[in-house]
Amino acid sequence: MNFAPLTLELLLAGLILIVFVVDLVSKNPKVLAGITFVGLTILFFLNLLHPWYGTTFQGTFVSNSFTGFLKGVFLLAGILVSLGSLSTAEEQYRGRVGEYYILLLFSLLGMLFVVSARDLVLFFVAFELMSIPLYILAAYQKDSEASIEAGLKLFIFGTFSSAILVMGLALLYGTTGSTRFDVLAQTLTEGEALSVLGFLLFLTGIGFKVAMVPFHMWVPDTYAGAPAPFVAFLSVAPKAAGFAILFIFFLQVFANLALPWKLVIAFLSGITMILGNLLAIPQTHLKRLLGYSGIAHIGYMLLGVAAGTDLAIAMVLFYFVAYVLANIGAFLFAETAIQNEGTDQLSALHGYAQRNPLLGLYMLIFLLSLGGIPFVVGFWAKLYVFLAALKAGYGLLVFLAAVLTVVALYYYLNVARQIYIEKPASNDPVRVPASIHFVLLISTLGTVLLGLYPKLIVGPALEIARAFVAGL
Amino acid sequence: MQHFPVLSLILLAPFLGALLTMFQPKEAYYRVRIIPAIAAGITLILSIYLLLKYDRSIGGFQFIEHYPLIPQLGISYHLGVDGMSLALVFLTAFIIFTGVFASWTILERTKEFYTLLLLLVTGVFGVFVSLDLFLFFLFYELAVLPMYLLIGVWGSSKYIKPRGIFARMIQEVGVGTKEYAAMKLTLYLLFGSAFILVGLLTIYKVSGLNTFDFLELNAHKIDPRYQKFLFPIVYIGFGVLAGIWPLHTWSPDGHASAPTAASMLHAGVLMKLGAYGVVRVGMQLMPQGATEWVWLVGTIATINIVYGALSAMWQMDLKYIVAYSSVSHMGIVMLGAATLNEPGLNGSVFQMVSHGIMTGLLFALVGLVYEKAHTRDILAMGGFGKRMPGIATFFTIGGLTSLGLPGLSGFVAEFLVFLGAWQAKQWYWLVPGVLGAFFTAVYVLRALKIIFWGPFNEKYKDLPDAIGTEWVALAVLSGVLILLGVVPFILLHPIDVSVMELLSKFKGVLP
Repeated sequence: MNFAPLTLELLLAGLILIVFVVDLVSKNPKVLAGITFVGLTILFFLNLLHPWYGTTFQGTFVSNSFTGFLKGVFLLAGILVSLGSLSTAEEQYRGRVGEYYILLLFSLLGMLFVVSARDLVLFFVAFELMSIPLYILAAYQKDSEASIEAGLKLFIFGTFSSAILVMGLALLYGTTGSTRFDVLAQTLTEGEALSVLGFLLFLTGIGFKVAMVPFHMWVPDTYAGAPAPFVAFLSVAPKAAGFAILFIFFLQVFANLALPWKLVIAFLSGITMILGNLLAIPQTHLKRLLGYSGIAHIGYMLLGVAAGTDLAIAMVLFYFVAYVLANIGAFLFAETAIQNEGTDQLSALHGYAQRNPLLGLYMLIFLLSLGGIPFVVGFWAKLYVFLAALKAGYGLLVFLAAVLTVVALYYYLNVARQIYIEKPASNDPVRVPASIHFVLLISTLGTVLLGLYPKLIVGPALEIARAFVAGL
Repeated sequence: MQHFPVLSLILLAPFLGALLTMFQPKEAYYRVRIIPAIAAGITLILSIYLLLKYDRSIGGFQFIEHYPLIPQLGISYHLGVDGMSLALVFLTAFIIFTGVFASWTILERTKEFYTLLLLLVTGVFGVFVSLDLFLFFLFYELAVLPMYLLIGVWGSSKYIKPRGIFARMIQEVGVGTKEYAAMKLTLYLLFGSAFILVGLLTIYKVSGLNTFDFLELNAHKIDPRYQKFLFPIVYIGFGVLAGIWPLHTWSPDGHASAPTAASMLHAGVLMKLGAYGVVRVGMQLMPQGATEWVWLVGTIATINIVYGALSAMWQMDLKYIVAYSSVSHMGIVMLGAATLNEPGLNGSVFQMVSHGIMTGLLFALVGLVYEKAHTRDILAMGGFGKRMPGIATFFTIGGLTSLGLPGLSGFVAEFLVFLGAWQAKQWYWLVPGVLGAFFTAVYVLRALKIIFWGPFNEKYKDLPDAIGTEWVALAVLSGVLILLGVVPFILLHPIDVSVMELLSKFKGVLP
């Protein structure tokens, strides 16, 4: 048995054990967060500099440059969130901090497995490993009714969608008699009733996970109720995993299935963009607004999935990076506002730029990046996805998306207005915990640097996508 | 001929100025004003250098700088100017230089104000000098966005009492407030930029050259079938910024609410950016498409002229009068472009410069009057000529340019445009055009009479005239207006060279 391709996963499992043991000795949140942060950072750089590519478990576990890139994105999100959660953990999770980080790491482990799995059973187990810790984490603020409700909602919708997903997988197995992706790809050629049903159930299950319309209802409530640093994680990492799954399934498992799935995805992309953007406009709370804006971003990324070319894959990969940086930053800003004002209402943000100029600038950059304005990374992400979709022939959809980005700018600028233009209610300085400040700084630097030099990610992403498509 | 990188320096000067200003301490009164003034001064000197060194006998794009940025997608850092962009760079440099002095008295968050202003102007220069459509778009966005904060933070709201059946609705929306104006302006312009982005990406795709380079695309003929629907997309996209009717409504609200320097820059330069985009990207890259749609461009332009002038006639708010006059004058620019002949296009570009400087002057004056009299309601003013003779003189010069008095630059531009319209296929454009010029005279003289020459209002007996640095702004701007009116060929010559090159693309296309 060749364990080399599993090294990253094994190391992460080792990190979980270390956190577990340390938690028995010391309950100090700083120590636990520090170990998680340092461990994940080491893993991130190991993955970057010395990736373990290869195939094991008779070809059902694959590690290549495509999965390596995605694992980098997950680890990046984990790094940023592990540090960003520290101040919340210190104040509210006394005595339970160890479990918090262990759960976070377990979810990460699931993500690492899920993008490498090339077998239905392994895939589903990894998928559940990724999802179940999230339900617990959403309800981690035990004293807050909203948090419990968020957790419950996420749990019900999550398990329900998992059930649908597993039903779909069972049908696929039923029609082909195999759980291996490569066999499935060869056998699933005719669009017969059972395999079509399996396909639809699969799409629905994943649709819940990535929050595409019409399976998005859980997002606003969950985001509004759950603790902000966790939402920062929830809003990026599982979504990225979901998209990776979409790519793997559509381009490999369903590659020969005679179904107009591209049109289905293009349609879903259109309504996701429209609904996400329009529903974000009337929001009065930052986290809720970011939730709807997140749905809109899912729509843009689906545009790339619909295109399905290697260029589109590369651009969606790039989009993840942009989205991780800006979205985690924006949610941590929301967390700062909650810690200072006790609410994330937009009207509580009045004059933040005057009360803490640096914090205002950070948020402005995140907003511009989410809105897709040049010289920050979000612009390139949108532009590249549009370009890829245009080349694949979705001219009208790109036009719709371009117009909707203007709608999106309305609500992003509305946040900017509260921060920059409105007069502050008080002149007390806004306190930013050092850990959050550090994460905000990293995200901002990343957003600006990649905005000035997108080639840093775009170049490798293009190569990875080409290799991925060629290796199918 | 090898040059030092003039164009990059023109871009770098305001950008570095913005960075330097941003990191100054809040208390440094002079430093946050002197640094922008120096940065603007450098660009002004460089743009005059450009004008002198541009080789008219060769024509075409000169001062080229070319480095690849993202070769896989055919994006490069490609700069260069021809006669047309040269004139507009010159205009921008003048407006920002005087704009810095016109906003000397801003006291609230001065540092941030100048930083944003310089960033904005970096974007404007970038648009005029870039020869890569992608770069062009990047700078375009940079030129649009800072305006949101400039109006939102430093702008002023109009005092209005909504009346009639829609009063409640108007109040809810907040028409006339600076927040409303800022949001409206930004969204309109970004809506336009969404069109532009799609247009540019489609050009990129259908040309099949895998490049955004303007010169390569210019040498290539885009399939006429695509030109037919691409031209309107590009026209609408840039047209929003050029204030074409009925998408012009952001302009009066936005320009009236903006702080002085921002209105000068926006009405003076940014609207030209839209017209420049229509001519450069729309007409030069898509001659067939342009020929097919030119009837619409011209017709809308004539509506602009008359509608803008009539609206200006009704306004009681001084800043709105000037703002609506911009809408009217932009109609002349677009009409000139629509004629697709030599005098018309020359006049169009010349009007861009002339109107830019004239509107800059007028907005600067409106700012001064407001600052001293604390009102923009013209009915509350009267007889100001006695107390502020300097301002009254300059206002008159600006107003007379606006109505096209010979000897001032406005006359040259309007004469050329109307000459072009007469020679164009749709000669009837001339009628509303000339009618608009008449209405212009009415609203200009009406405003001048009420404010400066009417019965003196005793409330304003302590009104001071312009002081110190303000004279610099006024004298420079009106000096240029007179200079261009007397010796127009210093600009017309390079413009004509580029216009002839543009028209050569229409050979065999025009019926």
